[in-house]
Amino acid sequence: MAVKIVTDTLSDITSDLADKLGVTVVPLYVRFGEKIYRDRVEITSEEFYRRLVSESTLPSTTQPTPHDFIEVYERLARETDEILVIVVSSKLSGTYSSAMQARQTISGKCRIEVIDSLTVAMGEGLITIAAAKAVKAGANLDEAADLTRRAATRSHLVAYFDTLKYLAKGGRIGKAQGLLGSMLSVKPILTVREGEMAPMTRVRSLNAGLDYLYNFAAGFSKIEGLALEHATTPDVADQLVERLGAIVPKKSIYRSVISPVIGTYSGPNALALTVLEAEK
Amino acid sequence: MFAAAASWLEKSSAEIDALNVFPVPDGDTGTNMMLTMRSTMEEAYRAPDHSASGVAQAMARGALMGARGNSGVILSQIWRGLADGLKGKETFTAADLAGALKESAAIAYKGVSNPVEGTMLTVMNDAAAAARNEVAGGNDDIIAVLEVTVSAAATSVERTPSLLKVLKDAGVVDAGGQGLYTILEGALRFLKGETELMRLRKPQIIVSDLPYTASLPQTVGVDEVPYGYCTEFLLKGEKLEPEVIRKRLEKKGESLIVVGDEAAVRIHIHTLDPGAVMRFVTHLGTMHQVSVRNMDEQHQDFLEMQKERMPTTDTAVIAVACGDGLVDIFGSLGAVAVVPGGQTMNPSTKDILQAVESTYSDKVIILPNNKNIIASAEQVQALTEKKIKVVPTRSIPQGVVALLAFDYEADFKANAEIMEQALASVKTIEVTRSVRATKINGLKIKRKQPIGLLDGELIAVGDTNPEVIDHLLSRLELEKAEVITIYYGEDTDPAEAEQIGADITGRYAQLQLEVIRGGQPHYSYIISVE
Repeated sequence: MAVKIVTDTLSDITSDLADKLGVTVVPLYVRFGEKIYRDRVEITSEEFYRRLVSESTLPSTTQPTPHDFIEVYERLARETDEILVIVVSSKLSGTYSSAMQARQTISGKCRIEVIDSLTVAMGEGLITIAAAKAVKAGANLDEAADLTRRAATRSHLVAYFDTLKYLAKGGRIGKAQGLLGSMLSVKPILTVREGEMAPMTRVRSLNAGLDYLYNFAAGFSKIEGLALEHATTPDVADQLVERLGAIVPKKSIYRSVISPVIGTYSGPNALALTVLEAEK
Repeated sequence: MFAAAASWLEKSSAEIDALNVFPVPDGDTGTNMMLTMRSTMEEAYRAPDHSASGVAQAMARGALMGARGNSGVILSQIWRGLADGLKGKETFTAADLAGALKESAAIAYKGVSNPVEGTMLTVMNDAAAAARNEVAGGNDDIIAVLEVTVSAAATSVERTPSLLKVLKDAGVVDAGGQGLYTILEGALRFLKGETELMRLRKPQIIVSDLPYTASLPQTVGVDEVPYGYCTEFLLKGEKLEPEVIRKRLEKKGESLIVVGDEAAVRIHIHTLDPGAVMRFVTHLGTMHQVSVRNMDEQHQDFLEMQKERMPTTDTAVIAVACGDGLVDIFGSLGAVAVVPGGQTMNPSTKDILQAVESTYSDKVIILPNNKNIIASAEQVQALTEKKIKVVPTRSIPQGVVALLAFDYEADFKANAEIMEQALASVKTIEVTRSVRATKINGLKIKRKQPIGLLDGELIAVGDTNPEVIDHLLSRLELEKAEVITIYYGEDTDPAEAEQIGADITGRYAQLQLEVIRGGQPHYSYIISVE
């Protein structure tokens, strides 16, 4: 029986792609005031960003409950005896712990492997896509898990934020703290290092930010996968994709939207580029 | 309810420790408050009955017995106030709570011999005032009132850096205030039935939006002023007089707190001579839970802890600049030290060397920010064991773009290269006044006339600053520029600077423009065009 792959909505894999790859996506939760929404299921990205900038109270986010994972595991266990779960960095979200707790309650012969991707967004997404492709090509659980762990070390995420305000207020700032408090208006460029948000540098304009993202991708000699996501500016992202066409075929670039739960911390106008470096 | 608050606090005690810079940056506030709360709750469980009054009395007693540190003692006074406010009450209403919180704030202020705003005292006061207002407005729902109280506490914590400069300099909110907010928030969450959520999550540390600034080199180095010993103990006796004891101890040290009653008094003081304090009190009664800690050691541990919070780069950047605004800007962008100096007041190699030696890093990049300082900066390498790179920045704008380009992921050598490459992306305009009548580059210049330089070359003269700036800008392709930053000098009229900025924005709408006080001498304007 083929291995089933599970990930969370923070991987930013579009629902079309998830269907095509046979990946099950477990949503996190985003909360505006008293109302709680399942990420990308009960609130669209468009609706979310509109409210993020217009409402006075900032949203907050919550990981999936262990029960959410139990439901998915039980359903999948009827079709398979091997499940590979790839989740967002455990230093950014409690999703990993929910997935692990749920795993302990599943008895029977279905094997479940949970992997902490140590990254987020398409950083996590490209790893999951690679795992799903390997499974389609016939990999078993151990092989797919091994491939996933190796891919995690080659997944490089770099993000342009319009502001650090949301990241700071949301308490996920990590080592990017050092970029706070600038007296000039600057746009932070961030990455995920050892599972935590970390600073790369700062730029003073969107164009300088786009140059930085482009040069970051151009700095790799062999690229297996490339993804670009936007929060609220699809046109800007599309233009960058045009430029990135000089590095890899445009059609092979995964385009996606930064999910509401991540958007809670990135804020509007953010862009995220992920390079999955080819194995040497 | 308060037990839930205590465990909520425990979860964030380490983060609160990291915020601790006042009165002594020793990084133990969170731990002290947590331990105080533990003792408070142990006693609460031993309360003779379950009445609000009985439990609150027990908590106040427990807090006094187990109070640790400045923040712990103040916290114990807050519980004392709460106990007084709830005296004789079986249960309590929103109005009772508001009244008791007011009492807490009053007693907390009284316990401290020299109350400072921007600390947990302010937070307590603001929170109590909000509760009182809400009740006065007719709200009698205790959860709703506490909700307002907690949110006022949060706002108050966020405000602490604007009240207390040392917090602002460190870019943190007050640790004790944060602790108090966390306790109140924990109590609120408990009342709202969010215990399950509390088990899974951690309290949020409030981040202030205020810009913060790095310290000048003289404060970055080893501190000359010793902090002394943090001395605290519980004095037990008969007919003790806290007020008299306080008066006697006031001259013996800093951060003095004397609180308690006739039978037990808790004393906390930062003193250079703990022996004198103890000799005095042993006449009055017996000492318990004596603790004397060397705060200079604590401060060292704290610095280590701070390092872990910072980005994982081992390269430090030092800039040369003059003018309070420019110094703050370099600090806010991550320069670990700013050496005072610039045009007509070049720092010596020794000045720069001192700043280099004062950093914790072994690899230092220097931004001279003036062509006449580059050579002195380059001499530093010969005088230190540390590795030095000088990025030859010839102006303040070049220094800023170089510092901004700093890459946290790159190593020392690569960073120096990245920063040097960034210099080409900026044009520098400087406007000053001629010191004498002269002829340069075909320009006839009168004494004291505004003159303008583009990348160091004198190319414009005029009767007013705006005229000179206009002329200089016309030499640049502003259609292709993205960001213009105007730093105006110490003697420049801010209104004129704003007007120049508005004119530029009017003509080139695509430009991102910032007008900032640089505070530099001699130059009425330094303008960066990127």
